[in-house]
Amino acid sequence: MVGAMKNVRPPARRATAKRARPKTPPQGAGRIHPVVVYPFQHPTDLVHVQELYRLVGQLAEAPETYARPITVMDRKTHHAMRQNRDFCRFREQVVAASSDLLEAWCVDTCQMWYCGLGAAFERGTDGDVYWLIPGDFNYGSPVGREVIGRLHDLPEICAELGQDLCIGEIATDHNNPKQLIDTYGTFALLYNWFPAEAQEIREYTERPRSEFFALRHEFLAELLHQRWFAYEQTVVALLHAIAGRKHISRFFVGQISDLPEGREGFSSAMQQVERTERVLKTLWRERHDQRPGWQDDYRRLEARSEQVRRAALGVLENLLP
Amino acid sequence: MSSGSHHRYSAHRNLRGINFICHAPGAQSVSLVGDFNAWDPAAHPMQRSPGGGWLLHVELRHGHHRYAFLVDGHLTLDPQAQGVTRNDHNERVSLMSVS
Repeated sequence: MVGAMKNVRPPARRATAKRARPKTPPQGAGRIHPVVVYPFQHPTDLVHVQELYRLVGQLAEAPETYARPITVMDRKTHHAMRQNRDFCRFREQVVAASSDLLEAWCVDTCQMWYCGLGAAFERGTDGDVYWLIPGDFNYGSPVGREVIGRLHDLPEICAELGQDLCIGEIATDHNNPKQLIDTYGTFALLYNWFPAEAQEIREYTERPRSEFFALRHEFLAELLHQRWFAYEQTVVALLHAIAGRKHISRFFVGQISDLPEGREGFSSAMQQVERTERVLKTLWRERHDQRPGWQDDYRRLEARSEQVRRAALGVLENLLP
Repeated sequence: MSSGSHHRYSAHRNLRGINFICHAPGAQSVSLVGDFNAWDPAAHPMQRSPGGGWLLHVELRHGHHRYAFLVDGHLTLDPQAQGVTRNDHNERVSLMSVS
């Protein structure tokens, strides 16, 4: 991981829209650390990131409640767009003005989370809350603006109700590709490798790979010091939370979809299912490889996992382009 | 659960009226329990309506609240809730935001 923090203060206070202004947390609560994950592909239509950074600007103007926001940007995004004047202007005048820009070479999105949450953690203390805000959603749409107005609930729930992890759930129909992947892939694999935890996770959420979440300092400390995966880290966080008997909440944030990045087809679904399986296998081994005879259990689960994965991919191939 | 009249800019700006609705046509008694009434079954009894629903209007302070319906003594989640979590007894309960 290579990261560099750029600390540029906003030149002037900007006008803010009242509808999305987060509430003031209760007295004595820790600070909230917003971590924004900039879209890997800089959007051609800036309306969505403009709406997002309107929120970030508001957070930056409330230092008594919010630590200065951090934006994580993959260096590949920067390199791909460095000749684009609109991108450079937006990066300097909006992103770096309202947040500390952390640029890093990242394997995948979850590594961007790792960079951002890790940097925020180093500024934080017990009682603080960390709030991950994914950048690649259609926040500029009418429903996206509603979602922007609700996202602040996630860290506030952690702070007010003493929750270790609050997962934001977006509404999708049953045939949405992400939902199909979770139903036939993620949960099926979870039921194979971690059946007890999977049942409990499903009592909270149908979207165990959500990119919207907030978590408390003490729980983030535990997560950061364990293996961090380049993908499907929300599933891992949920599994750790269940195993550690943490306080978990799920909160509905609205009906929003991520910006098109070619992730909706079968090829992408296959990749996501395979990644999930790889992560679960690794995690299972880490938890059991001190136990005598674990290899036999592993082989049995692996054989069944292959059947589950094949069945999932068969369903998804039937339904996705 | 749905929001009722706004008191945001009144003298009671920290309170907001919330309408709770629980559909339980066969129930003998339904009450609203939550952090705001210390989970006391007697604090907020709900009123039966002709359609089989049980209604209650409660003023709650701004913030996030854990709650549930107590239907004939059984803790029941609100299907219209904004979220789900657990109470101090590790029971699944509903979650709402009041703003």
